[in-house]
Amino acid sequence: MGLALEAVSKTFPGVKALDSVSLDLKAGEIHALMGENGAGKSTLIKIVTGLIRPDSGRVLLDGRAVQFGSPRDALSEGVSAVHQERNLIPRFSVGENILLERLPTRNGLVDYGAVAREARRYLELLDPGIDARAKVLSLSVAQMQIVEIAKALSSEAKILLLDEPTASITEHETAALFKLLRKLRDDGVAIVFVSHKLEEVFAIADRITVLRDGKNVARGAPMEDMTRQTLVSLMIGRPERVAEIAERQVDPSRVVLEARGLSTTRGHKNITFALRYGEILGLYGLVGAGRSELAHAILGDARISGGELLIRGEPARIRDVHDASTRFRMGYVSEDRKQEGLILMHSITRNVAVTIWRRLANVIGLINPRAESRAVAPFIKRLDVRTPSLGQLVGNLSGGNQQKVSIAKWLAVQSEILIIDEPTVGIDIKTKTYLHELIGEIACEGAAILLISSDMAEMITLADRILVMHGFRLVGEVANDHQYETTSRAIIGYIHAVGDVTPAPAG
Amino acid sequence: MTLFRRLLLVEWSGLAVAILLGALALSVIAPNFLTEFNLYVMLRSLSVGLLVAFAQMVTLGVGQMNIAVGALGGLTAIIFGATIELYGFPLLLAIPLALAIGALGGLINGLLTARTGVNAFIITLATASAFTGINFGITGSIPFYKMPASLVAFGDHHLGAMPYLLVAPLIVAFLLGLFFSRAAPGRELLAFGGNPQAAELSGISRERVVVSAHVLSGLLAAAAAVLAVAQLGSAQPTIGADWLLLSFAAPIIGGAALTGGHISVLGTLFAVLLLGLIQNGMVLAKVDPYWVQFVLGALILAAVGLNRWRAVNSGVA
Repeated sequence: MGLALEAVSKTFPGVKALDSVSLDLKAGEIHALMGENGAGKSTLIKIVTGLIRPDSGRVLLDGRAVQFGSPRDALSEGVSAVHQERNLIPRFSVGENILLERLPTRNGLVDYGAVAREARRYLELLDPGIDARAKVLSLSVAQMQIVEIAKALSSEAKILLLDEPTASITEHETAALFKLLRKLRDDGVAIVFVSHKLEEVFAIADRITVLRDGKNVARGAPMEDMTRQTLVSLMIGRPERVAEIAERQVDPSRVVLEARGLSTTRGHKNITFALRYGEILGLYGLVGAGRSELAHAILGDARISGGELLIRGEPARIRDVHDASTRFRMGYVSEDRKQEGLILMHSITRNVAVTIWRRLANVIGLINPRAESRAVAPFIKRLDVRTPSLGQLVGNLSGGNQQKVSIAKWLAVQSEILIIDEPTVGIDIKTKTYLHELIGEIACEGAAILLISSDMAEMITLADRILVMHGFRLVGEVANDHQYETTSRAIIGYIHAVGDVTPAPAG
Repeated sequence: MTLFRRLLLVEWSGLAVAILLGALALSVIAPNFLTEFNLYVMLRSLSVGLLVAFAQMVTLGVGQMNIAVGALGGLTAIIFGATIELYGFPLLLAIPLALAIGALGGLINGLLTARTGVNAFIITLATASAFTGINFGITGSIPFYKMPASLVAFGDHHLGAMPYLLVAPLIVAFLLGLFFSRAAPGRELLAFGGNPQAAELSGISRERVVVSAHVLSGLLAAAAAVLAVAQLGSAQPTIGADWLLLSFAAPIIGGAALTGGHISVLGTLFAVLLLGLIQNGMVLAKVDPYWVQFVLGALILAAVGLNRWRAVNSGVA
């Protein structure tokens, strides 16, 4: 079954999201849809799945014009999608979520045995480690993403749209996903694949459509004709810039955060490492390795049950996150910026100044709004947040600009220890380069950074040293020589040495 | 976007228009609407309602509810009455004591909510029952009638159409506006309401926010109770019994987000004014007072619809 979009346009208040865009998707192909944030990819996908109606233009399914009123209509025609946003019901089991619209029943009651069995069929294709009976809320972000993909697969769709399916999963799972996508393609499924990771697109796509500012700049071009440079310049409208990250001198004696044989109630065992001023310490691992959980434990969100945590040489008892930020000057840039990082309904100013209100208040406890703007403006300017005004609601900013805001608040309060969790998930090339440079700069200025990332390339660009975590333990440390080949091999080697996993290269 | 649509996006614009039109219509239909006495009666009846609405608005700001506003108000009112009638407390002592009782009730609500992690709705539903129980246990449903003349006078006197009683909620409105727009703790309440996780990860203490919102709510409920006693001239155990609906209606009509993080002091004030106007209009037009209840319900639905429309159109939905 093939799908075509003809001259589709869509306008939102103040923005022309799509301007006469066309897409031609054939059965049995993997079609990459590329573009920077705000280029219109997600809008296009929402039109195909019936979430949004186009203002003009046509959607053709096998040459027949269709009008999907809702995702349900689209599903019934064999069109299924994994959206960028999570669409799972947290308190339901993995199996129920996967089979939500067609739960198997027996005598009129849901047959939970069958639910688990059926769901497992799809999970096993991607990650056999996920229990179909587990509740979704107990999963990590990456595992949730895998459940989303399994859910889309389970509808046996003829047309599958994947919007950033690999944004928060590791290379290992990506490899499994790709193997599966190739098999589906060979079975005649038409697949639209959206990703910010160019390597992935080159690895898997047959043809490519590129959007820029809501317009087509490439329409179904064969992948063979595409080079990285041409693709990037198509997407951003000019050649790519490589992140310039200044060399840092880290004084090994200036340790600011040290873990000695730490174990936590989340299940970490014997975690030992030291983080120094001006250093970027990477923490790499597969999904479920326990990286974000360690960050939360350090921040006082889980209990430390053994070993010692030292901050600036003193044993530290961090009671809660409030304590971590005020008493120990630690900041946390969350992996999930919408849920944990930002207050979407509030202005940029408020989101950044939230960490410094107490400092800004005068003798009688009032904050002068002008002083507040003055305090915030330099960081917004420095981080190059694109916005008409500081009063803009954060919910209206693009993902990249949102991420800048969630970093800015920690710069404003001058945190000395910054835990940055997956800083560039779902963020476009231009902004990604910028954020990498920014993180480098922050470290140069003396802050200690613990960087958690599943993006190997990002890790190798930024980190001075890389800790490798597996199964809630540290299994190795790699001195980063900034060479992708050697460093990534060393990292995978450590994971391989302890695990039963077989990391296939993504591609 | 047309000027009209843009005006609709400003929260209290619709309310202001409705109030103007309503007042205009009433002055045409009912000749005695614009008399000094009628306006005084109407404004006087708003005074307590304003404080009640503010008491709920504060908890809505942090994304919670205080079902116990009325119960706490009733309890405060009769303790206030009892200290005066039975123990002869002067007002200068009895008023601060009443406010302290309200704050204490709020503290209990806040601590229970923050420490147990149980939804504030359930906690305050339970404490509401407890507060009411204490109230009727103490009084046996018998009001305290002997209130000091100065208090009753404060409840009665007026300057032109302006009742003295209204001064208290206006001062409170000003202070609340300042608190939520300019003071760090006020901002923190709204930040927490907007996204509790993000606020906590930004170093805002959850317990402090939740407790202070409930304490403030209790304090305002107590202030409303004192005004109610002044207005009625006696401390009735039934004070507060009919506050709940209004307490939600006014902030919501005024533009508060039920999910927390956004409130409007001015919007709430206008909403109370509009509701008062409707009530007054119905009295003047001799409509069955039970219909007021109906209109209130319809208005809440309309307001929620307008809020939703506004959220969709400003792109934050």
